[in-house]
Amino acid sequence: MDLELEAYLRPPEAEMAPYPAKVITLATGGKLVVRQVDREVVPTLLEAIKPTIEVERDYYDIVGVRLYGELLGWYRHRVRDEFCIIGQIDGLLVGIVNSRMLTPLIGMSLHTLAIERGLRIGAHLFAAKMEHHIEYLNQDEVLITAESPIGFRRWMIEYGLQKRDGQHELGGATPYALTRELYFANKDRLVAGERPVPAELMEVAEREIIIASEEDILEKILGAKRRML
Amino acid sequence: MRPVVVSGAGMIPFERRDEDSLVDMLAAASLHAMDDARLGDRPVEAVYVGNMASGLFNHQVSVASSLVDRLNLLPAAADRVENGPASGGSAIKNGLLAIASGYYDVVLVAGGEKMREVIGPRSTDIVAAMTHPEAEYIYGVTLPAMAGMFARLYMDKYGITREHLAHVSIKNQQNGLLNPYAHIQMNITMEGILTHPQSHINNPVVADPLHLYDCCPVSDGAAAVLLTSLDVAQELKVPIVEIAGFGQATDTQTLQERSDPTDLKAVSLAAQNAFAMAGIQPEDINVAELHDAFTILEIAESEHVGFFEKGEAAKAVKNGETRIDGKLPINPSGGLKARGHPVGATGVAQVVELVWQLRGEAGERQVKDAANGFSLNFGGFGNNVLAFVLRREA
Amino acid sequence: MKTITAFKCTNCGHAMYPRHERCLNCNNREFEEIEPTEKGKLLTYTIVNELPWGIDERGRVIGVVEFENGLRALGLVESDEPKLGMELTTSWGVVRVIGGVKTYGLTFT
Repeated sequence: MDLELEAYLRPPEAEMAPYPAKVITLATGGKLVVRQVDREVVPTLLEAIKPTIEVERDYYDIVGVRLYGELLGWYRHRVRDEFCIIGQIDGLLVGIVNSRMLTPLIGMSLHTLAIERGLRIGAHLFAAKMEHHIEYLNQDEVLITAESPIGFRRWMIEYGLQKRDGQHELGGATPYALTRELYFANKDRLVAGERPVPAELMEVAEREIIIASEEDILEKILGAKRRML
Repeated sequence: MRPVVVSGAGMIPFERRDEDSLVDMLAAASLHAMDDARLGDRPVEAVYVGNMASGLFNHQVSVASSLVDRLNLLPAAADRVENGPASGGSAIKNGLLAIASGYYDVVLVAGGEKMREVIGPRSTDIVAAMTHPEAEYIYGVTLPAMAGMFARLYMDKYGITREHLAHVSIKNQQNGLLNPYAHIQMNITMEGILTHPQSHINNPVVADPLHLYDCCPVSDGAAAVLLTSLDVAQELKVPIVEIAGFGQATDTQTLQERSDPTDLKAVSLAAQNAFAMAGIQPEDINVAELHDAFTILEIAESEHVGFFEKGEAAKAVKNGETRIDGKLPINPSGGLKARGHPVGATGVAQVVELVWQLRGEAGERQVKDAANGFSLNFGGFGNNVLAFVLRREA
Repeated sequence: MKTITAFKCTNCGHAMYPRHERCLNCNNREFEEIEPTEKGKLLTYTIVNELPWGIDERGRVIGVVEFENGLRALGLVESDEPKLGMELTTSWGVVRVIGGVKTYGLTFT
């Protein structure tokens, strides 16, 4: 790699405070480890995202393909100030969220992809993303949009997001803002997690990001293909 | 009145079924029941289809006519029967009376609903269409809201806690894991839904005091039974499981007009009539499928039908008496909570489960020595209720 | 103040809302029109977070109030801390917008 050339192409990098990992107890009693990851894991994450690109249901295709592009772009140092947080249960990857710092004070929320359904993984990871923007990156507000009407309506009503002028960088959609005030007003109700993560759980999570097979991923998203008879 | 036998029973797994239309599902469940009865070419004379809101969910009406066409059961008589969440039960009642009267010998009853065609809040609005337009609907009342108002009073009156409700939910979800037809295949724990300090984030309020895990899911699915006269059942050589009794009763549409809103009069009366017709008592029942659209209802119904004294059921659930291996198994199928609740299908699915239980065909969730079964299908918010007693002939 | 029209049986005095053609108590078919009283008692309530399509809110409090004349009705409860048995004052306001049209109903504070 020609680092002199890269210097032209790479955007400047801001200092971003790290996100401290946490563990969430799910309705099943299972433990969801939520942690920030570095670029080096991106090739692994891309494997999990690939199967979703062909799934029209619930807008997985557009979320998946855009997330794939954003993570690959980040991996190749072509996206500015992006971060990525993942959720794992016993090492198995169950969800990915990503986001950017637009400015030191304004966050630009990108995507939320849940591979395991029925456990509110998406809700927990979205909340973790907001937690990072507001509490650890110390931003004032986060601009949000969503491709799926179901999730979006839920966030809008759950958090009471405020409409903003201008365009969200995801396709120029109308941005909705989560402000510091809104975040803290809703935090107790929406943001779970205990810190620090017990050592054994963290060790399993860090040892390997286990990616389910393509079949399993599709089954998790679409539901088990149970025949009629 | 002649005896009525459930000669065939069948259903399809309940879940979100985007690829299947309503009639696809009704047809599949019907064929399952017809084949289970080894019906072959013997004609079906009448078809009743329980379905609440195909016009609203799927922009399709007259689905009983569609079903006979789809299955080539022509020229059978066919009617769609609507009674809100008790549409399935009402369809069975109609089929039962058709045979008991002596007019028909072979009747197909199917129940189905395809709810996931619309998004959640629209589904909530469609279901709310059963509330009173002027006195309830305009306020944004939902079925969970009705249940929440009822639950507040019932819990207060009998000292029922959220922990008691959680026991119902956990039991039913665990039963669901043993039922290949159940929508929800997920174990939940007391810690995860109630006792962990952050469990409220997993289990948020839907309509206080009811939380997410107190409410059944929104499902797609269908179930069917093939009812016949005793003679035909003997010719088909199927195990003889009779609908020995049924009862139906109504109450005021609005909760506020009931003199005691904690008194589910229609439930008590429907059950009484079913037991009287079957000539047995509640204590003779070995297995029951109750209508737990909300966890509080399993507790309240089990008391109103006479399985427990008022105020005693919550304790019984906590002590495990209503587990599959308990004194009186309730909802071995997983109930509405885990099996799911495609509205029109439920009343039929409850009877299908009882048939399987009474025949010894319930696999891992088999209740030992089940001879007498009971089901309750709760229409509206308890203002139109059906009860059935099923009996296996020795 | 505009309000709901409720009914009192001319035979047995039973108060009813909504409308029934025959008295719920004695089957009589004649009624006097009555209204909710200004004050009432909260019989039961719930706090609803999952509302139907068209109502973009959470935390709506819906409850049943019993009025001084024995009548009961359901309405919106405007209180941060609803309690069973609390006394509330009846008023009339927009409770929902249906198909773009403001719909009025009972509110209690």
